[in-house]
Amino acid sequence: MTDWAARQNSDGGWAYSRGCSWAEPTAFVLLAQSTGSPGRASFLKAGKFLASLMRQDGGWSPQPGVEESTWVTALAALLPEDLISEQQRRQAIGWLKDKTGRDSSWLYRLRRRLDGDKEELPEGWPWFPGASAWVIPTSLGILAFERALRRGASDRNELQDRIDQGKKFLLARQCEDGGWNYGSIHALGRDGDSYPETTGIALLALNGVPRSSQLEKAKAAARRHFSGCRTAEGIAWLRMGMAAQGETIASAVDPVRRTNMDDALMALAAAPRNPLLT
Amino acid sequence: MKSQFTRREVLATAAAGAALARCSKAPRRFPVSNVSIVKASGYSMDVYDTVYRMIAGHGLNVRGSRIVLKPNLVEYDANTTINTHPMIVHAVYEAFLKLGAGDVRIAEGPGHRRGTLDLADAAGYFSTISQFENAFTDLNTDAVAKRAIPNPVSKLNSLYLPHTVLDCDLLVSIAKMKTHHWAGATLSMKNLFGLVPGAVYGWPKNVLHWAGIPETIVDLHHLFPKQFAIVDGIVGMEGNGPIQGTPKAAGVLVAGRDPAAVDATCCRVMGIDPKKIEYLRIARSEENLGENAFRQVGENIRAVRTDFQLIEEWKSIRLAA
Repeated sequence: MTDWAARQNSDGGWAYSRGCSWAEPTAFVLLAQSTGSPGRASFLKAGKFLASLMRQDGGWSPQPGVEESTWVTALAALLPEDLISEQQRRQAIGWLKDKTGRDSSWLYRLRRRLDGDKEELPEGWPWFPGASAWVIPTSLGILAFERALRRGASDRNELQDRIDQGKKFLLARQCEDGGWNYGSIHALGRDGDSYPETTGIALLALNGVPRSSQLEKAKAAARRHFSGCRTAEGIAWLRMGMAAQGETIASAVDPVRRTNMDDALMALAAAPRNPLLT
Repeated sequence: MKSQFTRREVLATAAAGAALARCSKAPRRFPVSNVSIVKASGYSMDVYDTVYRMIAGHGLNVRGSRIVLKPNLVEYDANTTINTHPMIVHAVYEAFLKLGAGDVRIAEGPGHRRGTLDLADAAGYFSTISQFENAFTDLNTDAVAKRAIPNPVSKLNSLYLPHTVLDCDLLVSIAKMKTHHWAGATLSMKNLFGLVPGAVYGWPKNVLHWAGIPETIVDLHHLFPKQFAIVDGIVGMEGNGPIQGTPKAAGVLVAGRDPAAVDATCCRVMGIDPKKIEYLRIARSEENLGENAFRQVGENIRAVRTDFQLIEEWKSIRLAA
């Protein structure tokens, strides 16, 4: 059992491994703690740290020194109910609704058309405003919007459309080997290889997608990755991804856990109900 | 109102102005810096002495200084040579301590994989460098501060950068000698992409791509004026680098205080024309990339030139024989 309070920084947040607090590990530690019975004082202190990262534009900054709202806004929208108010969640979702990858801007699409590239580019989410969409922020964006729908958001059609687009984006970025990497499937015509962790998170975000040969190929890739994976990050995301696809996979490997993220992700993967999907 | 200038004065002023305009367009001259090329046939214990002598030969005064070593850790594939060999990083680490550095840290922020320590472990850093975890900082998740880019050439005006590198006295880029499918070659300057924090910009650090790859390489180079560069070309990568290429033994280490000079020299060793590598052209202009622009120490380039295979899209950068 991880003693999260002992690892908590004085500002209430958690570091990735050591040093200053960041939004991402703090959010994942809180999500992991929410599956058990967290120490109330530590939990609320962390919530205050995260709330301090909320910005005027409704988005969230990844660290107190960063004056930009980024992809971590999706994590804020996924926080447990007692840590984020309904208004804050709405604002976070509102910020996310305005963000798409730069590769889906009309100018970029036009340029591609003029270059003879007719491939459809569904809308995903970028890590940082003004950049392209990638697999991890798109997966987190889908999960955040699904959470908002489950909580009765009023703009259902708009959210559902972005979820559908995000899932299409993920399916379009599936590597030839069936899994996912960060989101680049070809470079100068050569196929990129997938990674365990990104394959797992994409499968998690693709929960509810009807069975298809494409999905079966992805699950086969996940099983392949799982059999050789030695990292906590990879094992945890693969377990969560496959569980979301209705398949339980158990590992004989007890991976080395080097960071707070490793511990938090392993705790989430072991939880009977994944808070990212509730 | 009567003019206060005579015709002769006006003409003289115009001539002086034209001369000044010509001067401002004259290429900037860079001081001739030393670049050492040392033969090293493999990753054996001899490398420790070779690296020490190579660094000591540049006469750096690092007594009491805070040094950050930035290797090139990208992905791990047992079948190829993507990353700086851990033995080279360890040899550089030991060399700077022996030269009296006050603190030496190894720091890296990979652009594709999020588990930096897992990647370092797979690449052999834990087994080669004792107490590796204590000597290492993950630049993707280090505390950051915003820095304005001086005279930016890219579309960026500022970047968030990790305190570990902003606060050091000397940044040592320890790159792998590789071809690169977007930049032509990846060496000590391109290696600085790993300084940009993933926890802010993501994986990959795509903001840099949109701002222009060659241009942001040069901006990062300018942000860190106190650098030393070492390139591991004992076994580099040719073909579809920086990840999917094949190992290529060049059997050399290249080092110097001027990263652009080191990279231009590496290009020649690889059989690549440095004047055709855009980031080098932006950083130095063609006039400052000639063979005589640097003082080669140790091996002669021709004696160690090993042409790296180039993919079709980059065939035009081949250096004439």
